[in-house]
Amino acid sequence: MNACWTVFQRQLLALLRAPATYVISVTFLLVTGFSFCRLTSQTMEERLLPGDLLFGSVFFWLAAIIAMALITMSAFTEEKKSGTLEMLLTAPVTDTQVVMAKYFAALIVFLLICLPTTLYIPLLELVGGWRLMIEPAVLAGGYTALLLIGAAGLACGVCASALTRNQAAAACICFTIVSLFFFVDVFRLLLPPEAALFIEVISPAQHIMDFTQGIFDTRPVIFYISSSVFFLFATVKLLEARHWQ
Amino acid sequence: MIKVENLTRKFAGVIAVDRACFEVARGDIVGILGPNGAGKTTTLRILSGYLAPTSGEVSIDGLTLGEHSLEIRRRLGYLPEHVPLYPEMRVREYLKFRARLKGVPRSRIRSRLTAVTELCDLQEVAGRIIGQLSQGNRQRVGLADALIHEPQLLILDEPTIGLDPNQIRSIRQTIRNLAGRYTVVLSTHFLAEAEMVCRRVLIMHRGRIVAADTPDQLARLAAGNLCLTLEINAAPDRAETELRALPGIYEVDGGPCRPASGSAGWFVYNLKCAMEPDHRPAIFELIRRQGWLLREMHSERKNLEDVFAALTTAGEEDK
Repeated sequence: MNACWTVFQRQLLALLRAPATYVISVTFLLVTGFSFCRLTSQTMEERLLPGDLLFGSVFFWLAAIIAMALITMSAFTEEKKSGTLEMLLTAPVTDTQVVMAKYFAALIVFLLICLPTTLYIPLLELVGGWRLMIEPAVLAGGYTALLLIGAAGLACGVCASALTRNQAAAACICFTIVSLFFFVDVFRLLLPPEAALFIEVISPAQHIMDFTQGIFDTRPVIFYISSSVFFLFATVKLLEARHWQ
Repeated sequence: MIKVENLTRKFAGVIAVDRACFEVARGDIVGILGPNGAGKTTTLRILSGYLAPTSGEVSIDGLTLGEHSLEIRRRLGYLPEHVPLYPEMRVREYLKFRARLKGVPRSRIRSRLTAVTELCDLQEVAGRIIGQLSQGNRQRVGLADALIHEPQLLILDEPTIGLDPNQIRSIRQTIRNLAGRYTVVLSTHFLAEAEMVCRRVLIMHRGRIVAADTPDQLARLAAGNLCLTLEINAAPDRAETELRALPGIYEVDGGPCRPASGSAGWFVYNLKCAMEPDHRPAIFELIRRQGWLLREMHSERKNLEDVFAALTTAGEEDK
């Protein structure tokens, strides 16, 4: 456990020291800030639901998916390329501990990047001088959806980085898988009704809608946690594959 | 300390290590010598637990690698080829990270850091960023990392590659200083390094261990004959006849011998004789008796380089 904590600390520090993290962070906040402003002005005319102000924008989620891909793209690619993975995996630490450490470091950085978005509504109230009357449960639901989708997306990113030595390729793989999954709703019209029903069950858009209306369903929670576990398990197996290649 | 039996490792149909068997005693310094692609790095990667063997058994300190990989990794320090390090970290910070990762108790980290920093001569660069270090200092950081948790076994893959002659000498000295306290297995391209640093040498070729012994013994096995070079002032024909008449001298090269450069009357003789007994006293006695003048006599035995060439080119000729 100590070894896992040590690798986690190093990985977190490495991510926080990397200039790329700050570029990702600023870009993410610019895009989400822009989408928040746009939706705020629309709310006056179209009476959008309060939860949609932040989480109802495609831009917000696209920026989040890109951030997930960029944060995790170096997790293993860089270590493989520079050879430090050999140093790491010949220390008394298991492959699972290394994967978990890298994953949780990426998750913490992702949450830190998303943290300033919690200030958007208080800032708007402060600047605008009026109260939005948003239920805390709605915001909590939205952030729960962000955490769950982020957790699964980051696990996918860590797995993609274990697949290749190339950071850009890892980011592309992660972005493609997560965005295909995120926009899975698009395929609903093309499929038979039974399959369409299945898509509705796994559709992130549907989950976000539920969560931002204050509906807390345990099924998506289990779904995203299982997806994360699946990707992390696959990552451990990809690392172990070095023994048998 | 290390027992390797029938170790085989294949990569996509290529056999990198082929039924290798060897043992390393505690406190020994063993060098694995071989040309590129001989299987040295793969063997060391297997010993370090990074790769699993395709077949065969490896046990270190009585523990089998397959079952006790973590425990074995606690007992060994590994320095991979080209010393991969995190470039954004400072030397002291990196060594502290590695010490914690390798389970050094918090109370001992400071003293271990001081010890390895001194042993590897890193005091001056301890506060510097690794990415800005010279190759020699990076190598030292890698060695300090391998030693930080006081392992019983050190595995060093090409520890002097990419260094300048001074750095090579210094790293070799550091490794020699470790003798007795640690069991060291290192791989190298440099024959001189194996001769200077190692007590035993394993020569690998195409994944197989083709020879294993002390550097001296290996040289003796391959040498057979000893070459003696003499520079004497005597009539060439007579000197050659007299030298040939000595028991145990097989050949006197260059008869008539070549004149020594720049000195009239001096000639150089190359003699081939048996290794044992030592013929030099008899030669000197002959020269003294004949009243000749002698200004140089030296022997050249075949070294590890000749053994290496003989063993690693034999296969090429067979093909």
